[in-house]
Amino acid sequence: MLELYHGEPNGAALKALIVLHEKELPFTSRYLDLLEATPFDDRIEVAYNLEREAPILVHHGQPITETLFLSMYLDDAFPERPLQSGDAVDLWSLLVWGRFCGEVLAPAVGTLGCKAHLVPTLAKRDRSAIEAAVGGLHTPERRQAWLQALNDSFSEEELAESRRKAGVAVNRIEAALADSEWLSGPTFSLADIEVFAYADALPLLVPDIASPTAAPRLDAWLDRVRARPSVAKARAHSRTGAPQTAFVPGPEHSRWG
Amino acid sequence: MITLYHWEPNANSGKPMLTLAEKGVAYDSHYLDLLAFDQHKPEYLAINPMGTIPAMSHDGRVLTESTAIMEYVDRAFPGPALSPADSIERWRMRWWMKYLDQYLAPSFSMIGWSVFVGPSVRDRDPDELRAAIDRIPLPERRVAWSKAIYNTFSAEELAESNRRVAIGIKQLEAALTERPWLAGDTYSLADINAFNLAYALPLSQPALANDELTPRLMAWLRAIYARPATKATWAKGRTDMAARVRFLETPEATNA
Repeated sequence: MLELYHGEPNGAALKALIVLHEKELPFTSRYLDLLEATPFDDRIEVAYNLEREAPILVHHGQPITETLFLSMYLDDAFPERPLQSGDAVDLWSLLVWGRFCGEVLAPAVGTLGCKAHLVPTLAKRDRSAIEAAVGGLHTPERRQAWLQALNDSFSEEELAESRRKAGVAVNRIEAALADSEWLSGPTFSLADIEVFAYADALPLLVPDIASPTAAPRLDAWLDRVRARPSVAKARAHSRTGAPQTAFVPGPEHSRWG
Repeated sequence: MITLYHWEPNANSGKPMLTLAEKGVAYDSHYLDLLAFDQHKPEYLAINPMGTIPAMSHDGRVLTESTAIMEYVDRAFPGPALSPADSIERWRMRWWMKYLDQYLAPSFSMIGWSVFVGPSVRDRDPDELRAAIDRIPLPERRVAWSKAIYNTFSAEELAESNRRVAIGIKQLEAALTERPWLAGDTYSLADINAFNLAYALPLSQPALANDELTPRLMAWLRAIYARPATKATWAKGRTDMAARVRFLETPEATNA
């Protein structure tokens, strides 16, 4: 049996849900309100997770984290409806996109999304409850990341750096789509899901650089991915009705070039 | 036809070197001296415009990113499989490589650059160094080199890196107590990756990594160094940094 612990279908949670629905795998959804509960409570063993936060897949009792590798695991363990070609170049390309998302795109989207959307959401909640939840976080860097949103203490430099990274991502996606409809190889694949999970938010967060005029190939590719039934099914797991504005702190910005 | 552009058998450069050696794949070795800024010279930027090491050319394609190159090599060439057959172990291999690359390596590297790379180049002509920094294509790398050359690491960031190194050592010891290799029952790319990062840990962090506190980690390091591919790869090293690996010689191996 497959169980997925996840919050609102945006970012990493969206990625895992799209993969499950693309592969048409039956699974039990375990929805976590990351703002209500301690995000990494002990309902499940979170032995291996850099952020110690959802999404976490549990298969035969084994917790599986890190959504790119979780996705590759599902594609390995359930070969029907493959999302990878098996080709060495495509594997390399997927891993390079994954690293880029983990170090550049996802941290940028996390910072900009939290500034614009999580900060006002947290401001409406009971501060002491949020503080208690944050105090239960396993690592100081994650406590810091949530406190930054709770206190709205993003510096201008951090925001500018995140906008710069978002611009790097837009350019990289535009370049990759110059002679292909999809990011890696001739067909829709895990690489598209990996990048889409974060790039979906770019037009909302950096409308000047991710507009249909400024980035036409990105715009058309986003529409192609959004049109897939798996994306609608993944978004239907939302309980807020507005998953595209539900942001949680992303992975940390690289500490060392 | 494979050409590998690399520095020392150490950290990122050593990852594809050791992977190719384990697979038994021959390659043209193109050594770049990181301390002479070879990686930012026009000849190399024509191959890898990002100016990062390593890079590998194969079939007319240039591949970058050391961990992704390792997986490419394992998938593209015959030879012993370096990814486990089991899906969960393969997932665990990748989990470890990300933990190493994005959590531990930046901390190890910051300390290494503050004590080795920075001091190795700091005394050169200031104008030459300024120009060398200006030639670096990636802004993140420009910041890293500036900090190393001008020694502007803050006490806080070095303390944070030391905190993470201590966590990483404990995590490695715990994992190797549970299983013989990082991913599971077989030697994999995760071990190759981690060895490149950790081979000199008992020398750089003697209070945290030693036979009393971390016996599994020590045995694992010695077992990897005893492999012919590791010996052959570290023999390509040109600096005292890579030569440190010899402390992992076991008594039996020394007598042999």
